[in-house]
Amino acid sequence: MQFGRGKPAAGAFFDSDFQSVDSLLAVALLHGLQGKSECRVAIVTVSRNNLKVAGYVDMVERFYRGPAAVFAQVPPPGMITTGDGGVVSPGLTEPFAKKKADGSPLYANRVARVLDTGDPSTLIRNYLQAQYEKSSYFVLAGRATNLAVALDFKGVKDLVKERSSHLVIAGVESFLADPWAARKVLAEWPTPVTFVPDEVGKAIPFPASAIEKEFPANTPDHPVAAAYAAWQQMPYGASTTALAAALYATRQKEPYFKAETGTVTVGADGRLGFVASASGKHTQLSVDPALKDKVLAAYVELASAKVVLPQRFRPNAADAAKPPADPVKLPPKP
Amino acid sequence: MITKKALPRRAFLRGVGTAAIGLPFLEAMAPAMTPAAKAPVRMAFFYVPNGMMMDSWNPTYEGKLTEMPRTLKPLDPFKEDILHIGNLTHNTGRALLDGAGDHGRCSGSYLTGIQVKKSLTEIKNGVSFDQVVANKIGKETRFPSLELGMEDARQAGDCDSGYACAYTNNLAWRSESQPLPPVLDPRALFERMFGSGQPMTPEEKARQAKYRRSILDFVSDDTRKLQSTLGPTDKRKLEEYLSSIREVERQIERAEKDNAQIDPKMDKPYGVPADFAEHFKLMSNMMAIAFQADQTRIITFLMTREGSSRPYRELGIPDGHHPLTHHRNQADLMEKVRLINTYHVQQFASFVEKMKTTQEGDGSLLDNCMLIYGAGLSDPNAHLHEDLPTILVGKGGNYFKTGRRVMARRETPMCNLFLTMMDRMGAPVDDFGDANGRLAGMDLPGLDLA
Repeated sequence: MQFGRGKPAAGAFFDSDFQSVDSLLAVALLHGLQGKSECRVAIVTVSRNNLKVAGYVDMVERFYRGPAAVFAQVPPPGMITTGDGGVVSPGLTEPFAKKKADGSPLYANRVARVLDTGDPSTLIRNYLQAQYEKSSYFVLAGRATNLAVALDFKGVKDLVKERSSHLVIAGVESFLADPWAARKVLAEWPTPVTFVPDEVGKAIPFPASAIEKEFPANTPDHPVAAAYAAWQQMPYGASTTALAAALYATRQKEPYFKAETGTVTVGADGRLGFVASASGKHTQLSVDPALKDKVLAAYVELASAKVVLPQRFRPNAADAAKPPADPVKLPPKP
Repeated sequence: MITKKALPRRAFLRGVGTAAIGLPFLEAMAPAMTPAAKAPVRMAFFYVPNGMMMDSWNPTYEGKLTEMPRTLKPLDPFKEDILHIGNLTHNTGRALLDGAGDHGRCSGSYLTGIQVKKSLTEIKNGVSFDQVVANKIGKETRFPSLELGMEDARQAGDCDSGYACAYTNNLAWRSESQPLPPVLDPRALFERMFGSGQPMTPEEKARQAKYRRSILDFVSDDTRKLQSTLGPTDKRKLEEYLSSIREVERQIERAEKDNAQIDPKMDKPYGVPADFAEHFKLMSNMMAIAFQADQTRIITFLMTREGSSRPYRELGIPDGHHPLTHHRNQADLMEKVRLINTYHVQQFASFVEKMKTTQEGDGSLLDNCMLIYGAGLSDPNAHLHEDLPTILVGKGGNYFKTGRRVMARRETPMCNLFLTMMDRMGAPVDDFGDANGRLAGMDLPGLDLA
């Protein structure tokens, strides 16, 4: 929702199967950017038919949006209801076992059944309708099913073209998990598309030390830190492909990575191919060794940033002083 | 004129020049109907403004309706006929990029599922779902649809933060820019329903007024002829039906007489009763007759306009309805809103009772209806557009498994329900408003809707 005149920061749409921990870190990073007014997390949707995953995502959204009294409504978690739910990492379930000093649960899971979730493609459509022209972007870290289904909704392709500026896809393997959806998104997505290959994430692992130091120092009992610690035996360095996608999507003008234009296709064998060409409609990122430290510092700073609860959008003073662009015409007095 | 025993479904009792009274479903019509023919399904929308106190609307349980929530208590005798639906949403009622004006948007988009244009002069909405159905099946009845209401409201000007009054004061939209204003005056509705469609000359009007003749007097010859051809059951049914018309006529005469004695500056048309409940009773009795005689299968009813600040002095509430709903969680204000919500339901319950006790075929008229009672906002204090208060009363031709509280997934478009209702009305369409599918499962005994 927007209020008054002027534009708020761009809306970030994040869709993932949450098969790897870097998707959780990417959500944290987007919220860190939101705290700096560089974006607004519009909605997080889940491309896996698994209530435990949706429950965790919902809990994280509530954590970042604050108690109900604060301005901001928490949208329902969008969750696909087809396909295999897969195995859930303990990172997504163990945080719910944590207790406060009084014995009550530290994190409440409000998703017990499918009815507690929303249809992800509908939510994407609905939240897109609330974005200004070219003032939103998509980050996809997983199968493309939700985006592909949304594209088939009446008017959504035009809406994506009108309201969003770009799509950044993290990882190849997970993107190809639904070949139909991958082909559809590659063929029909109406804005520029950027790929972040898995190698980009493997080249810059997330430091376990940040989970143990920066996260608790900035925000005690951080659910993403708790999930990271439970995901596998600590200390470990998680791949950061989704983080790279979220960072690049928000700070496109910042030279964190090397970018090459070309065309990405899904072959008959279901594998992804990239052919570099100046006239290509896709972009592929790669790591610039000289910038690794800068990228890593940004990951840690933004993902572990102190939680800033969302504020009601107010236009800046200069915008507010301007007359409205389209003054309301009152009917003539009888 | 009635000339043979096998009556056509659309037979009328005709009078001299000015009267034409449709008939209810009679056994004598059966031979004229094919074996597969059934009583038609009808639908009506009862829209109440300014949201609802949801703590007194939603049951605390799902499944079979047992203890009714406080606001719905007046409907307790009919709970077996109610489907209480949770989680339906109108995203197009939300601000999106248009800022303030939730009241203007929520009523404007209620039956269209379209984000209305925020303007005072450039009216832009969509064709409402009732009119989509009327366009498809309206030719089968005397009136494709009836648009009715209770509160006198202007059609021009600003009714909510830059939204034209056309959005708050109408439910039905024939086209993007043409709303169908509700008929408020019972006399006007009566004459529309039982007049021949030919305008009366001033002399005829004067003669009717002078002698206060009943509309039934004008069709007495036809009535006698018909009665002589009917069996005892049909005779009784016809007598009851004609009595109900006469009763409505008397109520209108009484209201007109009463109004003539009170403040002539009162802001109501001449025939509109000053009493809210009396007005509702009159209008709803005519609605029941319209359905019973298959004069129309589609009615929209605006209880009061969206954003209405009507006081309810009959309940001891001098405050305006709308200001009260911005209660800021003050207990006394919240309680007044609950009283108003319940009062509205109480009126609606009297209509449901009428429908339930009117026999049609082997069941009741209600069995062949889909009556939606609801609002375009849920929590009015926060102007929420999700989990809209919605009940469906009636079985829609023995389709709906009623008597239960069912839940859709969160953010399920309200238009999904409309698509399902269009199917029941025999007017299916592929897509409507912001629907993402049909609301499946209402005919199944499960608890959840798809």
